[in-house]
Amino acid sequence: MIFTITLDRIKLIMVQNKQIPESIMRPYFEKMNTFGTEIKKGAIKRTEENVQAFIEAESQIDAAVDQVKNAGFSTEKINARGEMTVWQRLEYLVDEGTWTPLHTLYNPANNEEGTTNVIDGLGKISGKWAVIIGFDNKVMAGAWLAGQSDNILRVTDMAKRLNIPLVWLVNCSGAKLPEQEKFYANRRGAGAPFFRHAELEQMGIPVLAGIYGTNPAGGGYQSISPTILFAHKNCNIAVGGAGIVSGMAPQGGFTTEMADLLVEKAKENRAKPPGSVRTHYDGTGFFRYVFEEEQGVLDGLKDYMKDMPAYNPKFFRVAEPKAPAFPQEDLMRLLPMEQKKVYDFDEILARLVDGGEHSEFRPGYGPEIYTGLCKVDGFLVACIGNRQGYLGKDYPEYADYPGIGGKLYRQGLIKMNEFVTLCGRDRIPVIWFQDTSGIDVGDIAENAELLGLGQSLIYSIQQTELPMMLAVLRKGSAAAHYVLGGPQANRHNSFTIGTAATEIYVMHGETAAVATYARRLVKEKEAGKDLQPLVDKMNELAQKYYDTSRPLFCAKNGLVDEIVKLTDLRKYMQAFAGSVYQNPRSICPQHQMILPRIIKG
Amino acid sequence: MSEEILAPMAGKIVNIHIEAGQSVEEDEEIFTIEAMKMETPVFAPCDGKIRAIKVKVGDSVEEDALLAVID
Repeated sequence: MIFTITLDRIKLIMVQNKQIPESIMRPYFEKMNTFGTEIKKGAIKRTEENVQAFIEAESQIDAAVDQVKNAGFSTEKINARGEMTVWQRLEYLVDEGTWTPLHTLYNPANNEEGTTNVIDGLGKISGKWAVIIGFDNKVMAGAWLAGQSDNILRVTDMAKRLNIPLVWLVNCSGAKLPEQEKFYANRRGAGAPFFRHAELEQMGIPVLAGIYGTNPAGGGYQSISPTILFAHKNCNIAVGGAGIVSGMAPQGGFTTEMADLLVEKAKENRAKPPGSVRTHYDGTGFFRYVFEEEQGVLDGLKDYMKDMPAYNPKFFRVAEPKAPAFPQEDLMRLLPMEQKKVYDFDEILARLVDGGEHSEFRPGYGPEIYTGLCKVDGFLVACIGNRQGYLGKDYPEYADYPGIGGKLYRQGLIKMNEFVTLCGRDRIPVIWFQDTSGIDVGDIAENAELLGLGQSLIYSIQQTELPMMLAVLRKGSAAAHYVLGGPQANRHNSFTIGTAATEIYVMHGETAAVATYARRLVKEKEAGKDLQPLVDKMNELAQKYYDTSRPLFCAKNGLVDEIVKLTDLRKYMQAFAGSVYQNPRSICPQHQMILPRIIKG
Repeated sequence: MSEEILAPMAGKIVNIHIEAGQSVEEDEEIFTIEAMKMETPVFAPCDGKIRAIKVKVGDSVEEDALLAVID
């Protein structure tokens, strides 16, 4: 009798003899521990007001977004010219349901147009994630405005950090000349995007450009600096536009005679802006393709995106994607709009990740911080967040005062340093959630090394070279806002989102008022003066802190990259996870990850 | 069967959302305690009727202090 030994038979024998576990890594990821509980009737009843508060606050954000969408000319006017608006182009270009807008309300220079004049976000094109940005051709034909180059920096940084293509919808009339001093020059001025495109390309990240309209000067370089140019038949790109061509050498001023001359020259050059398809397709060959129809340009972009390098998700998924175990609408009940109210962060996270499953790192140590592995669309992500509420007896262990969630203490800082470092080793991207009032302060805290531990965390984060994102659920304040994955404190934050409950400030306004005026209060009081004027100043300062920390202010000034609805938080996490795993720069094999084993023990 | 509702932490009672004799549902907020600049809710542990309230607004309580009894 011939007995054939197969590999499967050998494995079966070894499993039966318990020489190997039944599966190698699947138990770590396929079904993790569940967390989160269904919201009970009593909680539903008491949180109705909170839901309404979020609906109201989110509708105010929506109204601000609508203003941006309606800036400039009407859609009808643009369409009447035979052109699509940037919004219509995006709708056609981006795979349905994947558009994840960013910087919609960003307008740091307070432009009267209400926008930086670029619209951007993450989205899939032909099934592949890209960072997508377009000039708003409804507003001054897509001119350069103040704040735009900072907006573009955030966008090019995102492409860099996520290692995914950048897709441009170029339609740029160049500088808004009457305001050039606000953006033209200076280290991060309007010329910076051109070298940022070169930088991306040097890193092997392609920049695709669909080009429409007249693009002179700045618009010319916006068009030429990407990698592949898809041109609409009516577009043109040039070093200088018709307006410059018709200009004369400076004469020290203008007269009506000169104005007559200019009228003639302008009429002559209006018909023929330089750099048309004839020049740059037939002649120079800068345009790789020319399309008859506007949609043709977008089809061209879609076609190229189809062939972009991207791993099939199955390469990196640790499990099949799973919807969260609880409805997203619960989040409006779980996150109190009222900043003083505590809540259970774990319940929130359970609604954002696949299956309400997680694998928590060091539970019970550093209770003010959650650290754990979760899945988003089957991809492994590391989640870190502030827990809230009373932290129990004898915590922090180095102090004689109680600990409260939102604050950071020694154990929490140590735990985050460990977790982040191990995430770096295992190449697990990190999603941060903030609701923090700061790091513990005072001599006791200093002796507990908190200053050093906070900076250590910044060091730990920076040395991971991991892509990260941040969601500021409510408060982002003090140095804790920096060390908890803040956008300013590392090179890895790809974007930061806030909610309608977000407020970001160095400290609470009333604390700031006390810090600013306490000594003067003492002096005035000792001098027998009326304290009311100082009290008025304190109230003014507190009010100013309030006004300059609201969600709309945060979005407008770039303290966050977008204020999102609570029910959209997961969508941004999905865009992040999908993008990060599309073409990661480095890989740790799942069976060589150490974090899951450390957690299991 | 009655159950004691205890303070989860030391702090000041800033809100009492119930009255003696009132019926409550599980997880309904019945007290609010303020400590360390934050407000911590105390929830009803079960459906029931409030038999007695042992504190009033403004009282300072220690951790595990008796706040109310629920039947």
